[in-house]
Amino acid sequence: MNLILPKIDLPDLLQSWRKKFTVFLPQKLERFSHFMPLDDANAEILEQPHNTRIPPKALFLPMTEALVKFTRFGTYDDAELEVSPRIVFGMRPCDAQAVQLLDTVFEQEQYTDPFWVKRQEKTIRIGLGCHVPCANGFCTTVGYGPFSKDGLDILLTDLGDSFLVEVLSESGKTLFENLHEASEELKNQAKEIQHKAHDAMPIAFETENLKEKIEQNFKSDYWDEVSRSCLGCGVCTFLCPTCFCFDIVDEVQRQERVRNWDSCMFRIYSLEASGHNPRPSRIERTRQRLSHKYAYWLDQIGLIGCTGCGRCVSYCPVGLDIRAMLRQAQSLPFEVSHAE
Amino acid sequence: MPDINALKLEAKRILREGIVDVVVGFKPGDSPLHPQPAFFRNEDEVEELIHNGLCKNNLANYLTRLPKQEKVGILVRGCENRSVNSLIVESQKERDDLYLIGIPCEGIIDWRRIVEQAGEHISMVEDNESEVTVHAPTGVNSYNRFDLLHESCQRCLHRNPVSADTLIGDPVANGSLELATQKVKNFESQDIEARYAFFQKEAERCIRCYACREACPSCYCTECFVDHNTPRWTESGATPAGMQGWHIVRAFHQSGRCTSCGACERACPMDIKMTYLTEKLNHDMREKYNFECGMDAETKPPFQTVTLDDKNRFFVGGGK
Amino acid sequence: MTAKAKIALFQCRWCLFSPADQEWVDTQLPENIHLTKTPCTGKINPLYLLNAIQGGADGIMISGCLPEQCHFKTGNLAARRQLEEFNDFLHYIGYEKERVHFLWLDLQDRGIIQKELAAFEAELEAMGSTQHLATRVMRAEGGENA
Ligand code: SF4
Ligand code: SF4
Ligand code: SF4
Ligand code: SF4
Ligand code: SF4
Repeated sequence: MNLILPKIDLPDLLQSWRKKFTVFLPQKLERFSHFMPLDDANAEILEQPHNTRIPPKALFLPMTEALVKFTRFGTYDDAELEVSPRIVFGMRPCDAQAVQLLDTVFEQEQYTDPFWVKRQEKTIRIGLGCHVPCANGFCTTVGYGPFSKDGLDILLTDLGDSFLVEVLSESGKTLFENLHEASEELKNQAKEIQHKAHDAMPIAFETENLKEKIEQNFKSDYWDEVSRSCLGCGVCTFLCPTCFCFDIVDEVQRQERVRNWDSCMFRIYSLEASGHNPRPSRIERTRQRLSHKYAYWLDQIGLIGCTGCGRCVSYCPVGLDIRAMLRQAQSLPFEVSHAE
Repeated sequence: MPDINALKLEAKRILREGIVDVVVGFKPGDSPLHPQPAFFRNEDEVEELIHNGLCKNNLANYLTRLPKQEKVGILVRGCENRSVNSLIVESQKERDDLYLIGIPCEGIIDWRRIVEQAGEHISMVEDNESEVTVHAPTGVNSYNRFDLLHESCQRCLHRNPVSADTLIGDPVANGSLELATQKVKNFESQDIEARYAFFQKEAERCIRCYACREACPSCYCTECFVDHNTPRWTESGATPAGMQGWHIVRAFHQSGRCTSCGACERACPMDIKMTYLTEKLNHDMREKYNFECGMDAETKPPFQTVTLDDKNRFFVGGGK
Repeated sequence: MTAKAKIALFQCRWCLFSPADQEWVDTQLPENIHLTKTPCTGKINPLYLLNAIQGGADGIMISGCLPEQCHFKTGNLAARRQLEEFNDFLHYIGYEKERVHFLWLDLQDRGIIQKELAAFEAELEAMGSTQHLATRVMRAEGGENA
């Protein structure tokens, strides 16, 4: 279904959704944009060219959440989670794709994360395609694109005065009841915009055989070279829409067992109780980060675990660029692995 | 701007003559906005060396990360030189194992300001004395250099290296104490509600990525207090208590150890301008103890020195 | 303030020279005062204060020895430098300075600590409680950082 939504109608539409939903949309916070719930004031609909600083994964996996409440008398209760129905408006395709990837982590047959599932079930995801591709993103390189539909209930294409609304799921249908079907002409216009955006994104590096190269050069000096200036902070992982590691901590004073975001780039991430650290330096940690995204994800679900959002590229405090690192990895030696 | 050829010559010379094992400097990144810290181990590698206003890291940070026994040559601006001194005072490196190539500094450009002005797609940035020329698809534009600087650099007091072995370029005019302390004074002049509201707003935007810690040359603890869990010094998560505790104590650990380089706030992905905290401590160290971190390689910071002259102050702020 | 002001008392174990005073502190302290004894004021980490404040203490009293009377010679001097600065720093970010009270005792002093605690309590009760920095609470889902 392809509908047309004139931009002037958007503020009212967003407000009308608020009767039944909490509507999250990117709003300006300091010098960047951030998903925040829409309130009474007619929120400014940002002409935000690109991604929010914090990826929308935070709406499904909060930075910190309580799992269990306990008392010092030995009683404990599972934390209750109430989620009201929500709409996330204006997700970029790379981020929606990332949430879809994370589904495979949190919704496995044997292991399902009840909090994740609950938040997912209650959320309608409205995506906004990127008609002006961003400078540091590289979604097309990793097999996705500025108008990818994966993980979205609705995809919007900016046509200037209006949006083309592509309804992709049942739950998306009800939101746009009174809109007219788009004319062929507008549909074609949208297609053209989408193609143009896709073509405007340069290929940042080749992905062919990258997995093999990364895996076969586990001990290579390459890892030392690319990690030399790395500080070992949490920027590239915390801002990454597909990074999902967490740490479970008992906050004794608050009497809560909480789950916090964690990062494989931290020293204590892999530190064992004995004092031994199997990833003793930033070399091994950088290797882990890259290998997880570009090799282990492929083993597990056959997809690259990076959607090319470009956040790690933009905000690494020392300017380490995953694109350059992988381009360099392409020159590593490798042997074609024999099919089993 | 330093003469890049003179820099390269000096870097090559100290490598060639075996004065150092490695030279720490910068090399170009994929984007002109993000040069990277780099480590040069032979003369050929030095060809890549660059140094300009977008080189945003405090290189002294790497002194505690390189192998202890190595002799290190390092490019230092005013703040970096002071950080090096501070590390020497704290016995993290021997002065004899260091060779400091000093660069009088005109201030570091905030790449985010460039992006705000000219968009993301920047192909080239020309950095001149007073103007920065930015090449973007939308056109070529020049901006006043001072306006693009990081706040910490706009108010910088000591722009010239204080103890370099060699200086490349002519010394520049140092900043004024008045400008340097203005931020703290303005903040102090607000009432207590406003101050707390600001602190709260800033601290609670934190995602606890610890980039501020990792970017700071003074934060070299093997185990930081936030990573410690027996006892747990502060809440571990992104909770108000945890975030506020982190901001208070990280800053406080820099009392008398901070050189106002601003590397912490440049590293922050959430645009938290946390130097208003450390600047307060620096201000107090100056006022109470006449101490400025890193001005030489001998004087210990106030919290490491105690004297009976303090006696009279025991009655200030409480007590008998 | 309806309930009594909550005071966190950090006491150097040497500063109360009179056994009677120490015994009073050890056994008679009112419920609203929480005692932490340290081997020296030099052992008091600013994080102890922060923890007490975040956990809801209305005020903090630090009791130690005067200069030249420290059991470890200079522990109190080091503590004074750090803790005074910490207090100034907390004040800077919006915490009332009067909520942290230093009590430096002389070897000759007798019965001072009871009086000081009572006076401090009265002062705190007059000030009322504060929400500033008392933050050990969970944030709501969908909050700013959610
Ligand atoms: S690795 Fe970097 S580019 Fe890829 S999804 Fe994560 S943050 Fe985005
Ligand atoms: S953001 Fe950069 S410096 Fe920080 S851990 Fe990642 S690669 Fe290293
Ligand atoms: S606290 Fe910030 S300004 Fe101070 S030395 Fe560290 S990085 Fe530089
Ligand atoms: S914040 Fe404090 S404990 Fe942590 S690394 Fe810095 S100085 Fe060390
Ligand atoms: S760099 Fe910024 S977001 Fe990260 S821990 Fe420091 S203050 Fe928090």
